[in-house]
Amino acid sequence: MGLSNYTSLFSDPIFWRILANNGILLLSIPIAIMIPLGAAFLLQRHVTGWKFFQSAFYLPTVISWVVIGMVAVQVFAGHGVLNRFLSLFGLHQNMLAHPVPALIVIIIAFIWSLFGSNMVIFIGGMATMAPELYEAARIDGANELKTFWHITVPLLRRFIQFNFILTLITAFTGLFSLIFVMTGGGPGFGTTTLEFFIYQQAFDSGAFGEAATLGVVLFVLMFAVTLFQVPLLLREDD
Amino acid sequence: MNNDKRTAVPSSRKRRWHYSQGNALTFVSLCILAVIMLYPFLPMVSASLRSMQQYETGIGYSLKSWIFVLHNLPLPRELMNSTIVALGAIFLIIALSSMAGYAFGKLPFRTSHIFFVAIVASMMIPVLSMIIPEYVNISRIGLINQYPGAILVYAALGSPFATFLMTTYFRGIPDELLEAAVIDGLSYVKIFFRIMLPLGLPAIVTIIILQFITVWNDLLVGLLFLQNPAVRTVTVGIATLESVHVLNVPVLMAASLLSALPPIVVFLVFRRYLIAGLTMGMGK
Repeated sequence: MGLSNYTSLFSDPIFWRILANNGILLLSIPIAIMIPLGAAFLLQRHVTGWKFFQSAFYLPTVISWVVIGMVAVQVFAGHGVLNRFLSLFGLHQNMLAHPVPALIVIIIAFIWSLFGSNMVIFIGGMATMAPELYEAARIDGANELKTFWHITVPLLRRFIQFNFILTLITAFTGLFSLIFVMTGGGPGFGTTTLEFFIYQQAFDSGAFGEAATLGVVLFVLMFAVTLFQVPLLLREDD
Repeated sequence: MNNDKRTAVPSSRKRRWHYSQGNALTFVSLCILAVIMLYPFLPMVSASLRSMQQYETGIGYSLKSWIFVLHNLPLPRELMNSTIVALGAIFLIIALSSMAGYAFGKLPFRTSHIFFVAIVASMMIPVLSMIIPEYVNISRIGLINQYPGAILVYAALGSPFATFLMTTYFRGIPDELLEAAVIDGLSYVKIFFRIMLPLGLPAIVTIIILQFITVWNDLLVGLLFLQNPAVRTVTVGIATLESVHVLNVPVLMAASLLSALPPIVVFLVFRRYLIAGLTMGMGK
């Protein structure tokens, strides 16, 4: 009892190894936000078929992480589509068999399936912007790229912030099923995140005490994020 | 004047040409993105339409794997289980969140703001941080491997966001409407059933769809609280179909597709509500 659970946890090299994985996930978040932002910008030009594109981009979001994991394994693992292509160049490799490539594959699947919901939030944000702004920019001779950087991005700052937090929460607390299906946390601890480690400790090793300790650590991490999140959600109420 | 016109015409034409060129570029970029987003489903669909032998040789198509999934795997049973659990959880969530939203949005009391913030903040608690005590509690009251146990957990996990959504929505309904109803002699309970619920229907539909997709797609709660094959949900069934890497791939793909079908259909039918709901929480 007492704090001994925490001291033994913090001196455990495995714990830091796993936290490093969470750190890598954190680094992937800007990519997970920039791509949907760009897509939302393209969509709101309302070119032919934009409604179809919007639905197509959103489709992976309604499919379970389990099925997305299955799809990703089909694409990236041993006999996957990607490998059939790579073996043309003699580069055949099972990406899920090595820690770093496996984590990258999980991040790709994560970005892919979160693309739709992040994009929809940006589209919602863009809908609140006055069209006159774009008109004025066009008359002033700004090209599309300049409009994007100097008008869209600053005006969407609140939505970017919101998406960043939402993506971070998903990355740290929502990837359990994806990891479960794709790698089971392996190879080694290569793709074990803090969240997945809690499950392993509790339900694979039966170490409920350690798992509860880890649960508190994850909760404190997320609570720090929440402190930014709540004012953001409630801002308009007052 | 004449000079102005002469320069204005070509430049506007040039601009229009620029504009349509930009649109073409946009269209091409969107097409490339669409291929990236949809392509991974192609090997999935094509593999599911082959038998194991056809999959290995890459020649021919058949429905053998689909028939196998429907006859030899417990998938129909699991689809039923998922439906029962999802409907139960949705019913509880709607009952709770619509009443709570009515109270927070229209009948605020002194400390209600504190409760509201607490409920909103609880959305950020990681599921895995609370699943262990939750598991211990549910097993103590003997509801492991029973529908009500999982339904309770799903309802607890889904209610905070639903309450937040209903509160925001009800707050937007004009107070005059309630005042008029009170003057007409309606009680607060009657106002809830006769005025608030019908007006809140769009928000309720959004919650139903979001929750259906969430519960249907969830793995963790089902994995822990419904371990018995007789009550197992379909997502858990797919995830535990032995090791993903060695099993009969066409069967696995057919089963995965079948399990993903209900959320996809719900999405395609109620697309507008779903996308509205995602931005509704954001306000404007």
